[in-house]
Amino acid sequence: MSLITIAGRERLSHTAPIGPPPSPFLGRHLRPLAVPIALLAIWELLAHAGVADPRFLPPLEEVVARGVAEFSRGGLAFNLLASLERDLIGFVCGSVAGIALGLAIGFSRLLERLLGPVLLVHRQIALFAWVPLISMWFGGGEAGKVVFIALAAFQPALINTWQGVSGIPRSYRELAEVLTFGWFDFARIIAIPGALPQIFTGLHSALIYAWTATVGAELLLNIAPGIGGRMNEGQHLFHMDLLLLCILLLGGVGVVFNVIAGSLEHRLLRWRIP
Amino acid sequence: MTGPVAISEQGRGQSHALEIADVSKRFSVAGRRVQALSHIRLAVDDGEFVSIVGASGCGKSTLLRLVLGLDTDYDGDIRVDGHRVERPGLDRSIVFQEHRLLPWLNVEANVAAALRQSGLGAAERGELVRDHLHLVGLDQFAKAYPAQLSGGMAQRVAIARALVTKPRFLLLDEPLGALDALTRLRLQDELQRIVRHEGTTAVLVTHDVDEAVYLGDRIVIMHPHPGRIATILPVTDAVSRDRSDPNFIRLRDEVLSWLGVSRTGIDADAELARRSA
Amino acid sequence: MAAGLSATQTGPGDSTAGAAPVRRGNFPAAGILLLGLVVPLGLLTAWTVAALLGHLPEQILPPPWIVLDTLLDGIQDGSLLSSTMTSLERVAEGFAAGAAVGLVFGTAVGLSKTLREFVDPLFLALSQVPTLGWMPIVILIVGIDEGLKIIVIGWSAFIPVVLNTSQGVRDVPEAYVELGRVLSFSRWSKLTMIVLPSAVPSIFTGLREGLANGWQTLVAVELIASFEGLGYLMAYGRQLFQLELVLSAMIVVGLIGLVIHGLLTLAENRLQRWRPETSR
Repeated sequence: MSLITIAGRERLSHTAPIGPPPSPFLGRHLRPLAVPIALLAIWELLAHAGVADPRFLPPLEEVVARGVAEFSRGGLAFNLLASLERDLIGFVCGSVAGIALGLAIGFSRLLERLLGPVLLVHRQIALFAWVPLISMWFGGGEAGKVVFIALAAFQPALINTWQGVSGIPRSYRELAEVLTFGWFDFARIIAIPGALPQIFTGLHSALIYAWTATVGAELLLNIAPGIGGRMNEGQHLFHMDLLLLCILLLGGVGVVFNVIAGSLEHRLLRWRIP
Repeated sequence: MTGPVAISEQGRGQSHALEIADVSKRFSVAGRRVQALSHIRLAVDDGEFVSIVGASGCGKSTLLRLVLGLDTDYDGDIRVDGHRVERPGLDRSIVFQEHRLLPWLNVEANVAAALRQSGLGAAERGELVRDHLHLVGLDQFAKAYPAQLSGGMAQRVAIARALVTKPRFLLLDEPLGALDALTRLRLQDELQRIVRHEGTTAVLVTHDVDEAVYLGDRIVIMHPHPGRIATILPVTDAVSRDRSDPNFIRLRDEVLSWLGVSRTGIDADAELARRSA
Repeated sequence: MAAGLSATQTGPGDSTAGAAPVRRGNFPAAGILLLGLVVPLGLLTAWTVAALLGHLPEQILPPPWIVLDTLLDGIQDGSLLSSTMTSLERVAEGFAAGAAVGLVFGTAVGLSKTLREFVDPLFLALSQVPTLGWMPIVILIVGIDEGLKIIVIGWSAFIPVVLNTSQGVRDVPEAYVELGRVLSFSRWSKLTMIVLPSAVPSIFTGLREGLANGWQTLVAVELIASFEGLGYLMAYGRQLFQLELVLSAMIVVGLIGLVIHGLLTLAENRLQRWRPETSR
């Protein structure tokens, strides 16, 4: 389900390309736009040539008109805010719990032995398999949705924090011993900063997972204000233009999250960049 | 095996600054017992600079770990001023072969990290850190991150971190081993100057014979399998600290031949056999 | 999604492969196992005791023995097995389709900078939309038959396979590329002798993420639009307020997740035998 698309990956491409140098076809800056524009043009053509059923392929101007109407009336914006609110509440609850437990397990070998196996098995259960149970325990309303979103954010935050702390190199542990650090100094000066890159990775995934879970919760649980609710409406009323708008919003939010997470990561982990 | 007599003549009968008394250490590697150190006896006095040389696997780094108190599972005794070493303490600091600076702290904070358990106030700490960065010539780089430093600079920071606590003993575990030859020569001079300046007692583990002769007041030569002390050579004042001085070269060659490397390359094995007989 | 976690931390550079962080401990092996059992057994005991004392309403948590009965009944009458088979088939088909297309596309995008410049931004933008978000549209276009499941599962597997394959292909160390040039390799030899083998760890990460994503998506699709399969069984149990049905389906989902995880780890270790122990 999840799109584990961490924008940071793009930064890794430092090796030389294989094969001949790129052909001088189209300016470099236009290339990223070429395919989307071509696709939109074909779409528009098909829609107007009467080849495609307009119910499936509404002309672009209709989608745009729909967007303008929705946003000027505030309908879709309201729904977007409802989804985001739910998403962020769940994300904060889940990731805070995940990081706290991850740190505890990372620090205490006893806790790791006690809880590690349970958590590893727990993480093999597909996230959406919790939906029916959660809806029966917490109801299909707001509480159930937030619990589900929190659960989605909890797992990557937990696992990454845990791995980050227990992955602190032995040599740093030794250093802490030689400098006669107590538990607190070890955590503050060595373990937490050392685990920070991975904690960020966890938070970044948690953000993406929470967004996926938000959409899932809105589609699977009780209908409520939110993008998922509008998608349900679009599906039942066969409003393809509304559905396409919703897709645009979902993707847009994903992109924004990625950008925010990426730049925060970049800022806070300055020490990694020489 | 022959128990080498390795206790220094001076100060016999009174307790030494550091005394390694009949220390043996076994590891088990993949179910097999390996004797890493066998009956090591060595006494180090205040202000001395002792070099330990030996081929890799002779247990010299293991010995440092025991002195540090990182590992207390051994036979024999390691005593500082007559007290057995039970755990790491700020009286013994170490420079590892890899600088082991924490990449997320800048230079200043890395040095200051060693003072966390010192009980000193912030102002005093800041002053100590500044002094020691000055001592290693890195005043300008206080705010730099380790990733921005060259290998030699990083190792200077590590030296500053080791000295900032004003330790009684400075343990050096091949501190210059990962550096290029020129930087290494330059840092050897620095190290000598710094250790003299601080008046610290130093134990240097190295596999660079030149370095051992150049820096040491005494040279402990270790043989492997099991790790043991072959002999201890004093570096007399006659050996000037000039690497091309004939006395220096003679002593270096003597150390080399103890290690089984002959300058002429003819009778290394015979020499080795004769010496250990 | 949950199982996809393992994939998140396995970037091409560091493949801890979702293995538990292992630390050398002072506990003897048997002791470790026992400690790991303390919590599950404790929970099970608490559950049983609470059920025996009648503190647990059946709508919240039915007694463990009823869940076990349901599980055994489902196995005996074949209903649970056939649901499982249906689900597994869907995942297999969707994953195979998505991964196959993804491998080819990812390799092409990784090799050609030009192609990358054309399609990368669009692909990245599309991949930001949660897979479930596509479902209403796909349902309108293809209906809720098997086609829907294969498309959605396939798409969810496609994305990580493309991302990781193209990254792996791009990250081939320059030194190896030079070696290929020095040995005057043909394009084909470069691809098969150098590029693909050195991209294997990364490709595998993609496949692992893809399979995990596919399994996640399957459950969601079956919850939303299906008349058979494990997800449907859960949705059905929920509608009838039969929590024991939901729980027994969850147990099967978890078991399959564990088996997939185990098989992938095994396969990964075999494929990467040449890698030094430390970098695994």
